[in-house]
Amino acid sequence: MADKDLALMAHLMRRAGFGATREELEAYVAKGYEEVVEDLLHPERFPELDDTLFCRYYALGSTMVDATVMWHARWLYRMINTQRPLEEKMALFWHHVFATGWHKSENTPAMVHQMDTFRRNGLSDMRTILLDLSRDPAMLDWLDNNENHKSAANENYGRELLELFSMGVGNYSEQDIKNAARAFTGWTFAQPIPLYPYGYYSTHFEYREGDHDDSEKTFLGHTGRFNGEDIIDIVVQQPATPRFIARHLYNFFVADEPQVPAWQIEPPQDPEAIEAMCQAYTESDGNLRAMLRVLFNSASFKAARFKRVKSPTELIAGTIRLVGTHRFPEPGLHDLATASTAMGQFLHNAPTVEGWHTGKEWIDGGTLTERVNFAVNEMADVSKPGIQDMIQRLRAQGPAVAPETFVDTCLDLMGPLEMGDEARRALSRYAHSGGELRFGTPEEADASAARVGRMLQLIVATQEYQFG
Amino acid sequence: MSTQTATAFQLDYVKTIGSVTVQLGRGFINPYDVAVSQDGRIFVLNRCDSARAQLVRVGIINWDEDYLGEFGKGYGPGDGQLMLPVAMALDSQERFHITDEHTHQVSIFDLSGEFVKKWGSSGSGDGQFNGPAGIAIDADDHIYVADQHNHRLQKFTADGQFVTQWGGAGSEPGQFNMPWGVTVDTQGDVYVADWRNDRIQKFTSSGAFLASYGESGNSDGQLHRPSGVAVDPDGYMYISDWGNERLQVLSPDGDCVANLRGQATLSKWAEEFFAVNPDERETRAQSNLVPALPPHLSAPHHVSSQTEPYFWGPVSVKLDREGRLFVTEANRHRVQVYQRAK
Repeated sequence: MADKDLALMAHLMRRAGFGATREELEAYVAKGYEEVVEDLLHPERFPELDDTLFCRYYALGSTMVDATVMWHARWLYRMINTQRPLEEKMALFWHHVFATGWHKSENTPAMVHQMDTFRRNGLSDMRTILLDLSRDPAMLDWLDNNENHKSAANENYGRELLELFSMGVGNYSEQDIKNAARAFTGWTFAQPIPLYPYGYYSTHFEYREGDHDDSEKTFLGHTGRFNGEDIIDIVVQQPATPRFIARHLYNFFVADEPQVPAWQIEPPQDPEAIEAMCQAYTESDGNLRAMLRVLFNSASFKAARFKRVKSPTELIAGTIRLVGTHRFPEPGLHDLATASTAMGQFLHNAPTVEGWHTGKEWIDGGTLTERVNFAVNEMADVSKPGIQDMIQRLRAQGPAVAPETFVDTCLDLMGPLEMGDEARRALSRYAHSGGELRFGTPEEADASAARVGRMLQLIVATQEYQFG
Repeated sequence: MSTQTATAFQLDYVKTIGSVTVQLGRGFINPYDVAVSQDGRIFVLNRCDSARAQLVRVGIINWDEDYLGEFGKGYGPGDGQLMLPVAMALDSQERFHITDEHTHQVSIFDLSGEFVKKWGSSGSGDGQFNGPAGIAIDADDHIYVADQHNHRLQKFTADGQFVTQWGGAGSEPGQFNMPWGVTVDTQGDVYVADWRNDRIQKFTSSGAFLASYGESGNSDGQLHRPSGVAVDPDGYMYISDWGNERLQVLSPDGDCVANLRGQATLSKWAEEFFAVNPDERETRAQSNLVPALPPHLSAPHHVSSQTEPYFWGPVSVKLDREGRLFVTEANRHRVQVYQRAK
């Protein structure tokens, strides 16, 4: 029973956060599943990360173009060290959905500000979330709403708001798009202080009444002199909105769904789960916390182990949390960001407004090589605190650990992970090839530590390790 | 007892030096410290960020802001190279001593920028470092180094021979929590910016505790992660109150006499840039250099990061022989200069 609790808790922490160490899991299990879910849903119960420590080490200001790498690294550091894992995970979730790319504006502070907004409102209600989004300078620039004028409308934001950020294709007409766009005229941002001479600056939302089309509009059957807030009010009342958002939540937290463009033709794999979240949405006036509470406590979530291909972010943050490095600012942090980019995910820089294609599309010949090599390299140095912890737990089993126990314990401490037969046989072959794992003498202990490192490298090289 | 009325303390803004750059040559990139030689040249230590570390170097200018050259280039652990430089001090021979918190060493360069030697190693024993940060040199050429993760001050001779050390982790008087900046006053007393304890501590040159200034907070007399301190001949303490994004000045008795947010203007390099880029000047004219911010953006770093004149990342304060105060802003790639009114 306890083992199942631990495996279940590990699953919850992989999904709602970025994984947990064995010590953390044991503490969570003692607390109980429902209570841990509540803790996750209420990040304010836990202190914020001390940014001053990070900022002392990494002189983060707004330098030039490449500073984005360091802010990417900073976000990974936050994921590794936060006491509010779901807050960081929801910021990542909304970054996936409200996909914005640094490469258009090249204004790093604006992108960072957008992520801070997601951190702040990510667990609130859909109305607040969409309203804050519509006032976000990075988003307004990304989708050209600063060029959406009373005299000449630009439909980009109006369209994507409906197509990708709330209801999804098939739930509105072309005329609805046009009128939504007109309602958002005048929603722009102040000219940021330019890059020279002192670096980049962020900026803030500005409403220009003189540029706003105040005329009567018809939108989804309603008529009025709608402004942006009115459009959002109508949108969040549409049944299509919770269905769309719930499916995103399912894809991100439960199991890989097909990509969004296919959602019009391929139904959700678990309609009941979607429906339960929609009901929670309706009963709570669109609250994300309520939807996630239903999701995390559902039987279908608990059963969905390893049903998602890890994103590069999850692979990296999860692996680093296991090996226990970067718990304090140390050199090499930006290498994690570089690795993530090589795997296809450069945070703050989504490729298009569709966002990253997830699930199996994370994997191609190149990215798979990067993913496996990254994890294997992380396991190479057995002096790392997390690996040392695993070695000590193995030692605690007795002076001589049998090969099958060696494999079982490593799989348990790395997850617990589930292996298919072929992978399991390969790991057993390696364990048997060295006989018992002995720790009696210093020489034996060193040799065994090296074998443990090798076993961990084999584990992270399996196909199974790509799933979380 | 003097019958003269106490004159009010007044610190005047003089000018701003610098602008950002992405390459070697004229410009600063995350400047962390400043030193002024006897011939009036100003040396700026550029730390950069680890993703573009090849731009680490010491840049050389004069008071007229002519860019005279650079040294310490080439990111790496070799002789003459720097990796994560923190602070810089000049000895009586006008050699530069630069701390590096990645290599745990002090590198010495002469006034022409030639590498002399380096010393130090990683560890917690005498003469070893774990993240050397601030560095100061007294009139007798004794070197004081804030040993960040060993939470102590170490004292050396000019050639790096260990003399003594004091401190230890904690928040009691005489203890430290990740100390950063160090300075020596005209009496030879040593001041340490005790970063995570939010205070400045004063010691004799042999480490006897004398006084502590400041406590956690953002009001007058309070500090949040102070990174550096300079002391003038009258005993006024100029503190780079890094976490509060401000310069705070304490009287010799420890009373707050000034709290400055910063008032940077266009530097000479900035003016020259706009003279040949009128379109940039037009764009700048449309922007608001001091915007009104929404309530949720009220922390000092929020305000400073969006307000051009304000200090952002003031990591170091240094006084030169003329009494000019140099406040180095790591995040704005510039130095604001102030001077006490005569």
